[in-house]
Amino acid sequence: MTETIRSNGSALRRTKHGFFRTLIRQWQLAAMSVPMLLYVLLFNYAPMWGWVNAFRDYGNRKLVAKGVTPYNGIANFRWLFGREDFYESIRNTLAMSVINLVFGTVSAILLAVLLNEVRRKGFKRTVQTVTYLPHFLSMVIVVAMAQNIFASNGPINALLTGVGLTQTPVFWLGEGEYFWWLVGVINVWKEVGWGTIIYISAMTSIDPALYEAASIDGAGRFQRIIHITLPGIKSTFVILLIMNIGHLMEAGFEIQYLLGNGLTANFSRTIDIFVLEYGIQQADMGVATAAGMFKSVVAIILLVGANFIAKRLGEDTLL
Amino acid sequence: MKKLLSLLLMLAMVITIVPAVVAETDLEPITLTAFVGGPGTQAYADNKIYKKIEEEFGVTFEFEFLAGDLDEKLQLMTQDLTDLPDLFDGGNSAEKLIDAGALINLLDYVNPDDTPNLWAHIEPQKNRIITKDEDTGEDVMYIIPNYGLPDGPQIALSVGGPAFFIQKQVLAWDNYPQIHTLDEYFDLIERFLEANPTNADGTPYIGFDILCEDWRRFCMINPVQHLMGRPNDGEVLIDINSEDYATETFINRVYAKPYYQKLNEEFHKGIISPDTFVMTYDQYIAQLSTGIVLGMFDQAWDFGDATNALKVDGKDENTYVALGLIYDEDDVADLLPEGWTIEEHYLNGSLPNLDRGFGISVSCKCPERIIAMWERMMDADWQLLLNWGVEGEDYSIVDGRLTMTAEQYANTQDVEWQRHNKARYFFESSPKRQGWILDGDLAGNCWEIGNQDEIVFGLMNDYDKQFLAAYGYSKFADFVNPPIDLAPYGEAWQIDKAPIEKDYNDFLKIQDTELPQVIMASTEEFDAKWDAFVEHINPSCEVYSNFMHEEVLKLVAAYFGD
Repeated sequence: MTETIRSNGSALRRTKHGFFRTLIRQWQLAAMSVPMLLYVLLFNYAPMWGWVNAFRDYGNRKLVAKGVTPYNGIANFRWLFGREDFYESIRNTLAMSVINLVFGTVSAILLAVLLNEVRRKGFKRTVQTVTYLPHFLSMVIVVAMAQNIFASNGPINALLTGVGLTQTPVFWLGEGEYFWWLVGVINVWKEVGWGTIIYISAMTSIDPALYEAASIDGAGRFQRIIHITLPGIKSTFVILLIMNIGHLMEAGFEIQYLLGNGLTANFSRTIDIFVLEYGIQQADMGVATAAGMFKSVVAIILLVGANFIAKRLGEDTLL
Repeated sequence: MKKLLSLLLMLAMVITIVPAVVAETDLEPITLTAFVGGPGTQAYADNKIYKKIEEEFGVTFEFEFLAGDLDEKLQLMTQDLTDLPDLFDGGNSAEKLIDAGALINLLDYVNPDDTPNLWAHIEPQKNRIITKDEDTGEDVMYIIPNYGLPDGPQIALSVGGPAFFIQKQVLAWDNYPQIHTLDEYFDLIERFLEANPTNADGTPYIGFDILCEDWRRFCMINPVQHLMGRPNDGEVLIDINSEDYATETFINRVYAKPYYQKLNEEFHKGIISPDTFVMTYDQYIAQLSTGIVLGMFDQAWDFGDATNALKVDGKDENTYVALGLIYDEDDVADLLPEGWTIEEHYLNGSLPNLDRGFGISVSCKCPERIIAMWERMMDADWQLLLNWGVEGEDYSIVDGRLTMTAEQYANTQDVEWQRHNKARYFFESSPKRQGWILDGDLAGNCWEIGNQDEIVFGLMNDYDKQFLAAYGYSKFADFVNPPIDLAPYGEAWQIDKAPIEKDYNDFLKIQDTELPQVIMASTEEFDAKWDAFVEHINPSCEVYSNFMHEEVLKLVAAYFGD
C-alpha cells in the first residue's frame, strides 16, 4: 500500500518536475515577469468582480445612494435584449468594425506594397511621414474637419455637383445609410499610414535574393508582388487579423459620438454609446455592466474562433 | 556682513508677518473647497473681493470647475461621500447630488431667528423651495436658489428666455412691422430673402436655423407650447385654467402638426437648410456670429456669445429681437383642446432657480460658518460689494443713484478683470439679492448692474435706440406681452425626471431622430411621416405625461400648503 502511494507520488512529482526545474533554472526571467503578472491580476482580473453588478438593480437612485442595490437576477439582460436599439447598436458596432477592418487592412497593405516598390528613399520617407501623421490628430479635430468637408456646401459636394455627378448636394452627415461608410473613410484617412508601418517592416525582412531570383526567372514587377511580397507578409497579416477580430466589438467610441447626430443616431449608436446613454449618464451601473459583459463575452468567442481558424489554416496563432 | 544679512532677512519676515496678524479675524481661518458644475476660470491670488471675504470671514476658497461631462463627473464624485467639496454646485444635475445624499438639509441652520436675512429672502417662495422628503416626511431645503428671488416688482427689460428671434435689419427693411403669428414671421423672412439673397460680402443668408444638438434640442421640440400661448413648461402643455392642471405632452398632438408642417414648407422653399440638423452648438454660434442667420427659435441666454460677437464687430443690425409668436387662432380652431384660447405669454413671473446654486456637502466640517457668511452677505454693504464692486473704484453714487463710467462698465465685462476684481464664481452660485433696492439711501436703485436704468440706456447703441424709437418702445421686452403670474407649480421643465429617466430618454431620442425627418420629408410624404412619428412616440409620451401630471399636482399641493 505504502509502496503504491509512494510510487504514485513520485510519478506525480516527476510529471511536474520538468516545469518546476525549468522555472528554477530560469528564476531570473520568472522574477522579471512577476510585476506584469501582478499588474494583470490587479487591473484586469480583479475588476472582473464588478461583473456582479450586472445582476443588481440600480434603478432607484435614492436606494443606490444608501448603498442598497438588491440582486435582480437577469432583469438587466432582459431589459437590454428587449430593446430594439440595443440590437441596433450591436449591428452598428459589428458593421462599422468590419468596414474599418476591411478598409483599414486593404488600404494599409496597398499603400505598403506601393511604398515598397518606390526606389527613391526621400520620396518614400516623405509619403510615409505624411500619411501617418494624421494618426496623432485628436478625433475631435478630425471630425470637425470632416464635418466641414462633407457639409452640403463643403468641398466634396462642390466637386460632385461641379462635375455633374449629382444635381443637388448629397446630405452626407444626415443620412444614416452613409454613416458607416463615412466612419470607414475617415478612419482610413487617419490610420492608413500608421497601419503600413508593420507591413513595411515585414516586407523589409523578405530576403532580397528571392526578388533577384524571380527577376532572373523573368517575373515582372506585378508578379513579384503577387508571388513574393504578399506571401512574405502573410503571417503578419494573420496575426494582425486575429488581434483585430478580438477588437471587433469595439468599433470605437469617439468618432461615432462626435460625428453622430439625431438624424443618424440609429446608425451611429455603438454598444459603447448605448452604455454611456443608458448606463453611465443615467447612473444605472447594472445595465452598463450587463452590456459591457455581453460585449466581452462575444469578443472572447470571436477571438478564440479566429485563432482556431488560423490554426486550421496552418498559420501562426496568437493563443 | 552675514549677520547683517540675516538681520535683514529676519526684519523682512517680521514685516510680512505683521500685516497678516493684523488682518486676522477672531475666526479661525479656513479654506473651503468648492465645485462648480460648469466651466470657469480661477481667480487670481490678488483678487480684491476674495481678500475682503478673507478679512471679514476668515474664509478662502479652492475652486474646481467642470471639465467634461457633468453627469459622469457627479456620478464619480458622489461615490465617496466623505470627500466632497464643501460648497457643491451640481449645475444642471444637482438633483443627482440630492438623491445621492451628498448635501445637508440647510433648514437645520436657516430659520427666522438665527438667519433673519436668509429667511426673509426665501420666505415669499418658501412653499416652492422647501419640500418634503419622500421617505421621512420632514421639511428639507438642500440649496438656496442662486437666482430668481428678486426684491420688489419684477424687472423685465428684455426677453431672456425662449422666443422666436429675428434680425433687427429684417424688421427695419420692412419698415418696422408688427409680427405676431408664425405665418407673418416666415412670410417676412421669405420676402427679405427674395430681396436680399446675400449679405454685403456676398455670403448667402440662411432663413431659419433649428439647433438640435443634444440637450439644446429644445430649439426644435419646445416651440409648440409657446405658439399655444404658454410660457416655458419644457415638453408639456399645462392647462392652468382646468381644475386639475391637465398636463400633456404637446409634440404628439394634432395642434403640434401645423408648426412642423410650416417648417416642412419652409424647408422646401429653401428657408431652412438641411445642415441645420447636423450642426453642433459651436457651429451654430459661429454661424450666428457672422450675421447670416435671419431667424431661429432659441432662448436668449443660449446664443449670448453670438450676440456679443456681433456687437463687437459693429454688426448691430444683425443682432436679434425676440418676438412672441402664436398660432393664428382661426387656422387651428378645430385642433385646440376644448375651451383653449390662445394669448401670447412668453414672459413668465420670476421663477426661483430651484435646486440650482451651492449646496453644502455632508463632508463639510463647518456648515454654520458658511451659513453665517451668507447671512451677513445679504446685508446691503456686502451685496453692493459683490454686485457693484468697491465704491469709488468700480462705481460711484451720484445723487443717490448708482452709476458707472463706460470704462468701469467695460471692466465688469472683461473676464481677465473679473479674475482680479470680482468674486464671480462664488457669487454666481451663492444666494443673492436681485431686483430693486427697497430700503435705505439707495432705495430705487437696482441690485444688479445690468438692470440699472442708467446703465441699460447708457449702454444702448445708437442703432438700438433708433430701432426702439421707430417702434415707439422703450425696451426690448415691449415686443412681447408683460409677464404673467407664475403658475402655482412654477415652470414644469424644472421637474426632475429621474424616476422615468429611461422613458424620458426614449421620448427625446425619438424626437431627435424623427422630427428632422418629418421636417425634411417630401410634401407628399409629410402626413405619413408625421403619423408614423406620432405613433412611435405615443407610448413614451403617455408615461411622461402621466408622470408630469402627478408631479405638477404635487407641486401645486405643496404651493398651497396642503
